[in-house]
Amino acid sequence: MSTVYTRPLARLVEQLQKLPGVGPKTAQRLALHILKRPESEVQALAHALLDAKQQVGQCSICFHLAAEPTCEICRAPNRDEATLCVVADSRDVIALEKTREYRGKYHVLGGLISPMDGIGPDQLTLQALIRRASQPAIQEIILAINPSIEGETTTLYIGQLLKPFTRVTRIAFGLPMGGDLEYADEVTLARALEGRRELD
Amino acid sequence: MYLEQLHLQNFRNYQDQFVVFGAPKTILVGANAQGKSNLLEAVELLSTLRSHRTSRDRDLVLDGAPTAQITAQLRRDSGSVDLRLALQISGRRTAMVHSEAVKRQLDFLGYLNAVQFSSLDLDLVRGGPGERRTWLDGVLIQLEPLYAHLLQQYQQVLKQRNAFLKRQRSLNNPNLDPAQLVLWNQQLATLGARVIQRRHRMLNRLEPLAQTWHQAISGQTEHLSLEYEPNVRHDLTQPEQLFPEFLAQMQTKAIAEYHQATSLVGPHRDEVNLTINQTPARQYGSQGQQRTLVLALKLAELQLIEEVIGEPPLLLLDDVLAELDLNRQNQLLDAIQDRFQTLITTTHLGAFDAKWLQSAEVFAVESGYLSAVALNPSLG
Repeated sequence: MSTVYTRPLARLVEQLQKLPGVGPKTAQRLALHILKRPESEVQALAHALLDAKQQVGQCSICFHLAAEPTCEICRAPNRDEATLCVVADSRDVIALEKTREYRGKYHVLGGLISPMDGIGPDQLTLQALIRRASQPAIQEIILAINPSIEGETTTLYIGQLLKPFTRVTRIAFGLPMGGDLEYADEVTLARALEGRRELD
Repeated sequence: MYLEQLHLQNFRNYQDQFVVFGAPKTILVGANAQGKSNLLEAVELLSTLRSHRTSRDRDLVLDGAPTAQITAQLRRDSGSVDLRLALQISGRRTAMVHSEAVKRQLDFLGYLNAVQFSSLDLDLVRGGPGERRTWLDGVLIQLEPLYAHLLQQYQQVLKQRNAFLKRQRSLNNPNLDPAQLVLWNQQLATLGARVIQRRHRMLNRLEPLAQTWHQAISGQTEHLSLEYEPNVRHDLTQPEQLFPEFLAQMQTKAIAEYHQATSLVGPHRDEVNLTINQTPARQYGSQGQQRTLVLALKLAELQLIEEVIGEPPLLLLDDVLAELDLNRQNQLLDAIQDRFQTLITTTHLGAFDAKWLQSAEVFAVESGYLSAVALNPSLG
């Protein structure tokens, strides 16, 4: 590789290749593109990278990404204080926020219980979650965690932990909207059958 | 179903080989290590996404190439299906149906059904319980693609639970987070119970078919039985009791599991007892009798898959036909006739009954190249 690119270019390609979803070909394309841009634009990119890294930390309340000690969602005055939605990762907060349907607050666990990866309950933000759940204002905690093996264990674990404090629910899993029953895969269909409910 | 075309690119020792299958039987003849079995392995991969010869995709890619590709055109009653599987040295796979990548491997299964019969299958009788579980799971995946997902989930819980037990053991603390262990136990028992029930149900359907074939081949003198012996001992006619029973047996073994730091209860330790006239087949009889047994199992498998999916699956005979005596060859031929598309590998045509060469197309295989061979009627 190093003989193909001149040294500084090789370093750039190598750094880009460390990014998730970026293979050697994409890294090369990105690097060559960056070289073609005006210097001011490249500087803006470099600054944006550093600024984001230096300024974005975790919200001290919900552990979502935040540039301040607390995040925008925790500071927002018009959000429902009585509902907490527990998710594994900040990405899930972003996905749920895009729906614009949820008006409560969040709690980011920072992972899922996975003994294989050395992650137990102590590595997650569970102590903070218990403190929040025990506040009298909280009326419902929604667990919105992937239905994987690790997600299932984490959901059940948290469920047991929080049941004494408040009402705990979990999101439903089933067919995508606009989807045809006939085209749904068996796993999703089986899951949707399991989670069926009484017609009101 | 009928496999019309197969295209291998950088797969094993094939650089770029395109094959059109023009007859119900295809015989691949060649010396050892020329690529005969590799071609059958490609079909097996399209069928089950697994190879019985290796678990590392690196082995499947031609030396020096980054990726291998298997492309096939399959004719089914419902229409034509294009399948493509790309394998990388890194282990990443891309599976495509009609040129569209499937999201999960599960969605690729069930298009091409095949029964594989190779000389290695004698290990079904002689080998350990693991061989029989692998065989059982392979048949089930073809019958119920959902089972592939179930099994993968079970294995994931098993890995996590074992990792948890190892952590307890390394910290010398059997009381580490008992609440978490309870959850792993419940997940193992929930998924494990489903695995057990599906294995039980499948063996119940397979046994009478295998018995009929076995009697036909052995001349009605011997009685075969396939007895499922789940590691979780339980009366399987009462499925609702299986889950609590599973948990109870885990409880009994809790101390042993802590000390050995591994899961001792569950379908990962199941066994299938093959017996002939009430004697374990492993101890019973000659190699010939063991071959009869395996042949009966394979024919039963063929029949069951056809019954369930409603179309005859492919039959892959890897280096095994020449090992069967003429009587067994003829039994097999009668069973498959021209209904089952059959791919056969052999080192020489001489051992075949002439009837096998009728309606057969012959290719010579040499160093990863196929060439058509004109059949000389006197060969038989």
